[in-house]
Amino acid sequence: MSKVNRVTRRILVAEDEALAAMAIEEELLGAGYEVELAPDGQAALDAARVALPDLLLTDLRMPRLDGVGLIRALRALAPELPVVVMTGYAPLGSTESFRRTGEGPVEVFAKPLDMDAVLAALRRLLPAEG
Amino acid sequence: MPFATAMPELPIVAPGLCLLTDPAVVWLHLLSDVAIGLAYLSIPLVLIVVLLRRRDLAYPWLVGLFATFILSCGATHLMHAFALFQPAPIAEGLLKALTAGISVAVAATLWPVLPRLLALRSPAALAREVEERRAAELRARDSEARVATLIANLAEAIFVVRVSPEGTLALETVNPAFERMLGLQADIVLGVPAEQALPPVLRAAALPHWRRAAAEGETLEYEIAADLPTGRRAWQTVLVPMRGADGRVERLLGSARDVTATRRLQANLIQSARLATVGTMCAGLAHEASQPLNTALLWLRRIRSVAGPLPPGQQAGLERASAVMEEQLRRAGELVARMRALAGDETAQAAQFDATQPVAAALRVAASQYATEEISVTLRGTGEELPAKGSAARLEQAVLQMLANARDAVLERRRAEPAAIASIEVALRREGGRIVVEVCDTGTGLDEALRESIFDPFFTTKEPGRGAGLGLPFAAGVARSMGGAMEAWNLPGGGACFRMEIAAADQALPSAAAIGIAAA
Repeated sequence: MSKVNRVTRRILVAEDEALAAMAIEEELLGAGYEVELAPDGQAALDAARVALPDLLLTDLRMPRLDGVGLIRALRALAPELPVVVMTGYAPLGSTESFRRTGEGPVEVFAKPLDMDAVLAALRRLLPAEG
Repeated sequence: MPFATAMPELPIVAPGLCLLTDPAVVWLHLLSDVAIGLAYLSIPLVLIVVLLRRRDLAYPWLVGLFATFILSCGATHLMHAFALFQPAPIAEGLLKALTAGISVAVAATLWPVLPRLLALRSPAALAREVEERRAAELRARDSEARVATLIANLAEAIFVVRVSPEGTLALETVNPAFERMLGLQADIVLGVPAEQALPPVLRAAALPHWRRAAAEGETLEYEIAADLPTGRRAWQTVLVPMRGADGRVERLLGSARDVTATRRLQANLIQSARLATVGTMCAGLAHEASQPLNTALLWLRRIRSVAGPLPPGQQAGLERASAVMEEQLRRAGELVARMRALAGDETAQAAQFDATQPVAAALRVAASQYATEEISVTLRGTGEELPAKGSAARLEQAVLQMLANARDAVLERRRAEPAAIASIEVALRREGGRIVVEVCDTGTGLDEALRESIFDPFFTTKEPGRGAGLGLPFAAGVARSMGGAMEAWNLPGGGACFRMEIAAADQALPSAAAIGIAAA
């Protein structure tokens, strides 16, 4: 089957581990998404102000602006923005703490990431149009 | 008969006795002397009767002397009367002299005795004193009754140990608190040598102190702890030796206070602080380890996807190498996940749930698994709903960890004793504002030296590869996050009990988790 995405979906990736970010970028490109990388929360926010992404894929612990701060700031711009969180910290499976940041859907994945599960979540959150 | 006829020849009398010529005067003398004589004879009789009947009289010899004195006086008067008929001047004189001697002796004796006689208490004073004594006795009895009531209702256990000359120790008296606190009945233990009367755990803990107090004769203060079927209990005891007249220690007065609650609270605080420390450490370590693991796994995926078609042999080699790498990285990832779980999810919203549900669910899983190993798993619950606050899923996992730990202990014992009973009993109940889950097994029990460490992460008594030592710490972490704690003790018949307490949701209790750690 050929790719049917008429409009390519853009994903903003906020991840301070450059090597991990590069591998994630490769995976997302391979899955047919457009990718923008940001090395920290502030850079991600700046990029989003220029052009709003369709989805945010973010780490939690980052320099300058952390993941929760970034989600809050982005939700102010786009309340319905879907978010996927990748974290090495505790709140496994609990999306409760992120619900408080706004209305949009949130999925949380623990590191090390199960990339297949992450890709499945992206497909759920960004259904192909048409 | 007139005197003139009775005494025809009156002697020639001295002029002073001329009165006796008048018969009326003679009659007067005769009758008076006879009356006095008879009376004086009767009085000593009375005195002698008194002396014989009242042996407790002060100065009995004085009474005797008095009796003799009166007797001799009486004899003098009778002699005087007799002399009216038949003059016997010599006999009368001798009698008078004897009386004089006795009278002088009595007089001479009385004067020195006078102060002592005056010092004798009067009957009224004695009666007063008796009354006072009786009142004091009543007061003493009243106070004794008060003390007895106090001892009977005291929260502290009071006991008296009798020390025989041979050194045998036996309980002589105990109060109801003693019976309650130690689960011993007075009518069974009293008078029985302590070696037989006390259950083994208490004997081992208490008797050395009793012996020492009896031998050294000095007040001893000590604390003992013993694993009773109901849990580990601790008592603070004071023993006071009581010596007899010969200086030997005859009794030990003991008072004991149950300090289990205090010790439990202290242990919980220590456990909580330790878990908080290692929880923070584990969370940090998990985070740091997850980053390189994440990157490595992502790049492993890249290797697989970018590798072009290889010759068949090399293709298989690459597949195998990357599969091994992935498996090992995933293993490390699972360890990281378990360490993360240890810290708990402090940010998660706590929900209210019925604790009977996750406990029953864990039991169903364990019972079906362990049945194939011939380990029986039973649940004793009250059937009532037990509202708790936190995460039901985490509580279920915690109980599963407790069950897995019990199973390991049971299997380890079976390796040493193939015929040993293999059973795990779970009790679920409410105790005041707490929900209690107790998992008791018939396994190997706890090593006394290691019991402090069993809730520490990565501490394990199992062989390498059999358990990472994260199960019980996880359970303790869950208990802590739900406002409780865990403790463990050995059962008298072998095996161990693990008790998890969490706060009941309808009780506002100060929780150990209030100390808190930042996890995310």
